[in-house]
Amino acid sequence: MENTLTNSDIYTDSGNLSPRKITVGCKDKNKFIPRFMIGVLLLAVVSLVYLNIDWLKIAGRIPQIGTVFFKLAHFDFGNIGLIGSAILETVSIAVLSLLYSLVLGIVFGMLAARNITKIKWFSVATQSFFTFLRAVPTPIWVLLMLVCLGMGPEAGVAGLCVHTTAFFTKSFAQSFESISDETLEALEVTGTGRLSVFTNAVIPAAFSQIIAWTGMRLETNFSECAILGMVGAGGVGFVISRNLQNYQYGTAGLAILFVFIIAYLIERLFVAIKKKIQ
Amino acid sequence: MNKKIPVIAKNQKIVYTAFIIVAIILFVLTSLYTKFNIFTLLKNSDEFWSFIVNDFLPPALPKASSIGGVLSSVLVTLALAMASTTVAAILAFFVALFGSEKISPFPKLAKYVRAVATFLRNIPALVWAFILFSSLGIGTGVGFVALCITSFAFMVRAFVETMDDVSNDSVESLLTVGAGFPQRVAQAIVPSCLSGFLSWFLYCIEVNIRASTIVGMVGGGGVGLTLFSYIKGFQYDVALSIILLIALMIIVVDRITAMLRKELQK
Repeated sequence: MENTLTNSDIYTDSGNLSPRKITVGCKDKNKFIPRFMIGVLLLAVVSLVYLNIDWLKIAGRIPQIGTVFFKLAHFDFGNIGLIGSAILETVSIAVLSLLYSLVLGIVFGMLAARNITKIKWFSVATQSFFTFLRAVPTPIWVLLMLVCLGMGPEAGVAGLCVHTTAFFTKSFAQSFESISDETLEALEVTGTGRLSVFTNAVIPAAFSQIIAWTGMRLETNFSECAILGMVGAGGVGFVISRNLQNYQYGTAGLAILFVFIIAYLIERLFVAIKKKIQ
Repeated sequence: MNKKIPVIAKNQKIVYTAFIIVAIILFVLTSLYTKFNIFTLLKNSDEFWSFIVNDFLPPALPKASSIGGVLSSVLVTLALAMASTTVAAILAFFVALFGSEKISPFPKLAKYVRAVATFLRNIPALVWAFILFSSLGIGTGVGFVALCITSFAFMVRAFVETMDDVSNDSVESLLTVGAGFPQRVAQAIVPSCLSGFLSWFLYCIEVNIRASTIVGMVGGGGVGLTLFSYIKGFQYDVALSIILLIALMIIVVDRITAMLRKELQK
């Protein structure tokens, strides 16, 4: 990596035109990158040693992965009604929590944006509170909601809402803050109220970004929602985990296939929307 | 005289109206299907708050004898994320070279490489963990493999996109002078895309810290398992302090990756 082309390389060779190789290389390299990579590798090795994984045992069981996949691929269409309704429930929970969080996110985003609230300590407090909410992974929130609200989709919606709202608050606040002060001031000078400044200037300017964030979050919410069942909430995750534990691989395989198809469709949809916005 | 001037352009207004209508229709449909009613939730909120105030607050420390175990479980979670992301990144780098039509020595296969990555990526890590638990048994090693699979597939996509965005000119000019595949990789791809790759790697670390906590909950070990066992044992006040610990861990990691990202993009 040290073969940079320096001035001395050229000048010493320009006199006698011997066929010396000129090495190609980028001149201004970021010196930090190689150090960073070595550091990462060292940390990874230390981590692997610390984890102390019994690789031989895993390697010995690798043939079983093949068997499980073979069984999973033999779809059992007997329970398709159950799987279908579970998938619908999962999608509904994902969409519903997304919509609730969208409203909450806009409200809290407004409070957290410094140029709209204009009370600095208040925005900072809001932002740090939501940073905490965002730092705890969604399934933990759902687990807590399960404890508080009991089994059922309520816990799923409420748990997903916590994390999604926190995510939206941060990203919307960022979008709102990137709006230039001139726009806001121009409207304020004309005597427009705070609320109509928000609906007429802030929301339109941030609209395309709001759509992009929403699409991105739908993708995450669906896959989060698909796993919620595994920690005890309803939906397709519950179908997958229960059938896997009962060795009914055909049903589980079909449910996993459905999860894949829906996730893929959402991803495609999001890519299409993103292209259109740009 | 008092004619109102519309502030929003007409075609924009149509987009907003359409968006709101779609949102309302979806809201009604999903509310009916899940029978989720915000008002019943609010009506029962007394119970909810009393639960939070009585059972969760104040956060309590676990027994002195188990504090060491909790801390080492945090280390397991961190190590799991670190090791699986690094291994996945190394694998993803080599596979991504074959996934981009511009660089791959077999351009026709590039599509299939990406298709496999798409398949692996769109199945959540926890589902992989469950599939692997049923074949490999429960343990940290299986959590490692499950995390590896999703972050590998994610990075293949991200790396291919980075390469497609950046490296057109330099790859083509090297191709015309007759550079071979390894030379093209070393002289065109690595210098121009490396910081992009590493930035995606850092993003993956952030994702995997969360994912390894979750995979731990269903049997992968680490702090997730500790939390799950406290919740199952109805020790909610201890569980709360572990949640705070998880939040702290994730915030610290996010801060570190943000710092490193800034440093990398200099």
